[in-house]
Amino acid sequence: MRLNIGSGSAYANDRLDTAAAMADSGRVTYMGFDCLAERTMALAQIRRMSDPDSGQDERIGALVPVLKNFLASGGRVVGNFGAANPDAAATDFAAGLTHLGITGTRIGIIRGDDVRDTVLAHDLDLPELGTTSRALGERIVSANAYIGADPVVECLQQDAQIVLGGRLADPSLFVGPICHELGWSLDDWDRVATATLAGHLLECGVHSTGGNFEDPPYRTVPDPHHLSFPLAEIDDEELVVTKLDGTGGAVDVRTTRTQLYYEIHDPTRYLTPDVTADFSGVRLEEVGPDRVRLSGARGTPRPETLKVLVGVDLGYKAVAEISYGGPGCVDRARRAEEVVRRRLEPIRDRIDELRIELHGVNTLFGDRMPAGEPAEVRLRLAARALDPEVAEAAAYEIEYLYFGPAGGGGVVTSVVPAIVVTPALLPRSEVPLSVEVISA
Amino acid sequence: MKLREVAYSRSGDKGDVSNICVFPHDDGDYEWLREVLTAEVVAKAFGDLVAGTVTRYEVPVNCCLNFVLTEALAGGVSMSLRVDPHGKAYQSLILAIDLPERQARS
Repeated sequence: MRLNIGSGSAYANDRLDTAAAMADSGRVTYMGFDCLAERTMALAQIRRMSDPDSGQDERIGALVPVLKNFLASGGRVVGNFGAANPDAAATDFAAGLTHLGITGTRIGIIRGDDVRDTVLAHDLDLPELGTTSRALGERIVSANAYIGADPVVECLQQDAQIVLGGRLADPSLFVGPICHELGWSLDDWDRVATATLAGHLLECGVHSTGGNFEDPPYRTVPDPHHLSFPLAEIDDEELVVTKLDGTGGAVDVRTTRTQLYYEIHDPTRYLTPDVTADFSGVRLEEVGPDRVRLSGARGTPRPETLKVLVGVDLGYKAVAEISYGGPGCVDRARRAEEVVRRRLEPIRDRIDELRIELHGVNTLFGDRMPAGEPAEVRLRLAARALDPEVAEAAAYEIEYLYFGPAGGGGVVTSVVPAIVVTPALLPRSEVPLSVEVISA
Repeated sequence: MKLREVAYSRSGDKGDVSNICVFPHDDGDYEWLREVLTAEVVAKAFGDLVAGTVTRYEVPVNCCLNFVLTEALAGGVSMSLRVDPHGKAYQSLILAIDLPERQARS
């Protein structure tokens, strides 16, 4: 038994043409779709707050036709399309299938990652905010636990062809199908670690095939405009990561090891809901063009706690920008900053955080890298305040720089809700999950 | 010599923690990088961008030095008011580090 499984998405707005190429390649029988990031979850919760029928991935209607032939040939799909609303995601899938005249597709829905009530009932430590859940009370707008492969396997055992959940952990989208198809037990820790390694390399999509990689002249890949999602070929003996033929990019030791340690802290202890994985002894071997074999992942039992992302309403975030160019542009922009800071003094104590910087000078690295005199700079204000009027007032002061130092132009302002997500931990026993397989 | 001339990198984010993994272009340079690219050197290069600590993990089998920077993203991707809340560009800042001239390899 050998399973070929491909990536279909790495984030909420990933390309559908890349997913279509994988779906129609004939190379894979499963596709895993990671649709979430830390911020995506917060944005989804905001949408659900304004409309109880929303909060799911917004691409499903467009994605179903892309997957039509893949599903017709028996291909199976696992994704965290649910985001803040798994049932709404199932509704969208069902509607899309019905629209195409396809009936009888089994859809597995995973519920239970939404733990807001539990978080509010406990006094959970929120270390990155330096406070607790009880202290924040109703300002906590959401809490979602990272959940693992168990319910995915359960849905697949019940013959679900599409499996969707909320905050399914990124690698678990692949661990579920791999363990289900290869008959690997979810407490066979070395094997779960191997499946997690495969999932880790697939869940970020083109990150494994040449995306976020080039730095000419030192690092380049062919045809970076035409990247492939990665796929894994896996059986009891080996794991090979590769990409689709006829695409650009590269799968070699360089691209693979760069992604192997992406978002990993201690390489001997990568914690997921499924396993404590040790990637410190993983060996990489180029076994063909754009083919890398990986071996040596080790695992120990999964953590007894689950990571929870808690969404907190911190009011509003204003961002506003204006450009200055030509001789003296940096001096004029700094003068403009002084003007804005003086004008904001009367409301400064109602602004929780304020940042004013210059694109072209110091927005990315502060003063850590010396800047010369650029041809142009763009003054950027970012402010967070509980009161929307305070946020609007901060943005307005950038607009009013049309009447500030000479030559300011190109003002853009925005004010959006500031929902932050912050990590916490819950015992597994506090996160009861359930699955339901429906026929669409 | 800039680190970029001998190594490449990728940065990622989890909450307010950034990790930057660094690999030599030529694996023969790994031992030398291990000597010169210490956690202290990286902490100095990042200065007040990092309010917490810099820890270095070594993975010799893949010639990896993995730097973990805590309190490094102005509160994390959803909280930060920075232009680059993920710290995607940190992989470029680390490559700007000046290294001492290398002894000829024997």
